Amino acid sequence: MAQLKDNAAVTEAAVDALIARFEEPAWLAEERRAALRTYAATPHPTNRDEVWRYTQLERFAIDGLELVDGPLDASVVDRVSMRLTDSDAEAAMVIKNGEVVQRAGSVGERGVVFTDLRTAVREHEALVREHLYTVVNATMSKAAALDAALWTNGTFLYVPRDVEVALPLGTFTTADRGGLSAGRTLIVVDVNAKVTFVDEYTSEPLGERLAHHAATEIVLKDGAKLRYVSLQNWSREVVQQNKIRARLARDARLESLTVSLGGDAARAEVEVDLEGPGSESEMLGLYFADEGQHYNQYTLQHHATDHALSDLLFKGALRDASTAVYSGVIVVDPGAQKTDAYQTNRNLLLDDESEAVSIPQLEIQANDVKCSHGSTTGPVPEDQRFYLMSRGLRPEVAEHVLVTGFLYEVMSRVTLPKVSEYVERVVQAKLGVPGVKEKL
Amino acid sequence: MSEHSLEIRDLHARIADGEEILKGVDLVVPRGEVHALMGPNGSGKSTLAKVMAGDPQYEVTGGDVLIDGESILEMEPDERARAGLYLAFQYPVEVPGVSIANFLRLALNARREEGDEIGVMEFYTKLQRAVKALDWDESIIERNLHEGFSGGEKKRSEILQLLVLESRYAILDETDSGLDVDALKVVAKGVNAARGPEFGALVITHYQRLLNYIVPDKVHVMAAGRIVKQGPKELAMELDTRGYDWIRVEAGLAPVGDDEHAPRVGA
Repeated sequence: MAQLKDNAAVTEAAVDALIARFEEPAWLAEERRAALRTYAATPHPTNRDEVWRYTQLERFAIDGLELVDGPLDASVVDRVSMRLTDSDAEAAMVIKNGEVVQRAGSVGERGVVFTDLRTAVREHEALVREHLYTVVNATMSKAAALDAALWTNGTFLYVPRDVEVALPLGTFTTADRGGLSAGRTLIVVDVNAKVTFVDEYTSEPLGERLAHHAATEIVLKDGAKLRYVSLQNWSREVVQQNKIRARLARDARLESLTVSLGGDAARAEVEVDLEGPGSESEMLGLYFADEGQHYNQYTLQHHATDHALSDLLFKGALRDASTAVYSGVIVVDPGAQKTDAYQTNRNLLLDDESEAVSIPQLEIQANDVKCSHGSTTGPVPEDQRFYLMSRGLRPEVAEHVLVTGFLYEVMSRVTLPKVSEYVERVVQAKLGVPGVKEKL
Repeated sequence: MSEHSLEIRDLHARIADGEEILKGVDLVVPRGEVHALMGPNGSGKSTLAKVMAGDPQYEVTGGDVLIDGESILEMEPDERARAGLYLAFQYPVEVPGVSIANFLRLALNARREEGDEIGVMEFYTKLQRAVKALDWDESIIERNLHEGFSGGEKKRSEILQLLVLESRYAILDETDSGLDVDALKVVAKGVNAARGPEFGALVITHYQRLLNYIVPDKVHVMAAGRIVKQGPKELAMELDTRGYDWIRVEAGLAPVGDDEHAPRVGA
């Protein structure tokens, strides 16, 4: 059984160096130091822990990696700049190894703050201080503690009361070197405000291993609406652990989509706390693992209040001896009556060497609820394959059609054409569709 | 004859590792002709259709199937399709996420060399002509393949594909079942539009009704995994009024009395 080891570079001195370099205020310095203490006191996960039971832990190892202290240079690679050009975003930002290397567009709507987290700490300190670490904090997991102590930059997005941002906003998180890194996203959508935000992770091949940690904190106040996309398409040397968590107040609505396509291994934890009656969370997930990739998805639908809804659909395809673990739990607190909570995970296995484990769970402590969960894992339906081939489609083309169709159920629920196009293109490139290259 | 025909020779087949269902089928459909294949439930008609198309759940244990003199039994389903065989499914499969237009473009391009893909104008002209022949609304081609289609729409889609793909030989597996008369007429219109000297078809049906609209050149009757009788189109009417038991008796098989549409007035 794999036993993860400490990284000698994760020290008090390293945290102090960050604090000094970023000239951070005392409250943040104290948060970081406390997070580091929590990190040190938290044991590494093992396969004995239920939520890590089927994870190939050794693939997430961080020992021996140097802390990344910035990019080699400030250039923006084609892969990213083409995505920027092709994007329908109103404003976008490129953060490379913790440094902002490009800003594009600007947000027209009054009072909206869309900037990097380090700048936000200086220019919008009160807002950041009020919300940072209130959704994802160091006590939640070893990885969350590491991120809380060592994040170097990320996105800060604040949408004031009643403001609706028409077009999507987005951040590209990228890297040009390996090591150990951590980033953070903080999104606060105020009362009756509305916005779409896309967090995209991507890089050219790095030639060395990068272990990236990400934490995404989402605060939705009464009636706030957010569509949030987390799209992971790192190069194959990267492993990522990402905890995305949202707190939803009364009548808030979150539509999230978590996509895993790149990297060597990736763990995405997608968690919601439905804290206000009338709140709704649609949680979509899509992954396609090939060439031995290992994906982990953990989801939490926490119904802390009555009359809330959560609807989850995670679908993934696997081939070339790849593996995926889906583990999801619906928690309904005592008194959370009239809860609607649904959870579905489906896996499509494209060969005999790939493997998917699916563990849906329910913990229900209220008696007037509608809950369902289900999962299926299996090969391409033979009748569909035969039908397509009976029309002359070669087996590999039939497979492309069936995989695209399988994942379509998820993408058809996302009304972001540019994101859908891109995901489809990456999927097709992974399938080896002739003439399709991932980079536009 | 074999040079321009769809020919089945002493074909034996079973469901993988199961009981033999086809017990020596002999049948020839010359190009330019439309034949009907009739028979009671369980006689092996649909199995014959699926075996010819290469359905992997069946295993051929003897005999041969030839397209214009060339055996297709060693071919994969997609190779058979490109060799000129088309099967209109009894139960067309739903495939989410792919529109009829995109699907047909892939199917047409599969028949062409790489780099010689069908032009946009040529494709849409072909598609529109087929849609029109079936009195269908053009928007249908943007819908996902059979997703949310009614039974009748699925059958119509099978004929639409037949018209667009222009295969040399078609097998229609009970395309008429479950259709009302109006839908039946549309399907028949489509098949009749495909008729010509370069096209042969085997129309499998349980009912004579379809053959009022697609008049066959010949009728074959199947029972217990074999062709037990062949005759002119009038044979279909006779079957409709007399049922199938007399055929079974003629062929030396036991009557089963399961003719759900046996003697009936005004059929």
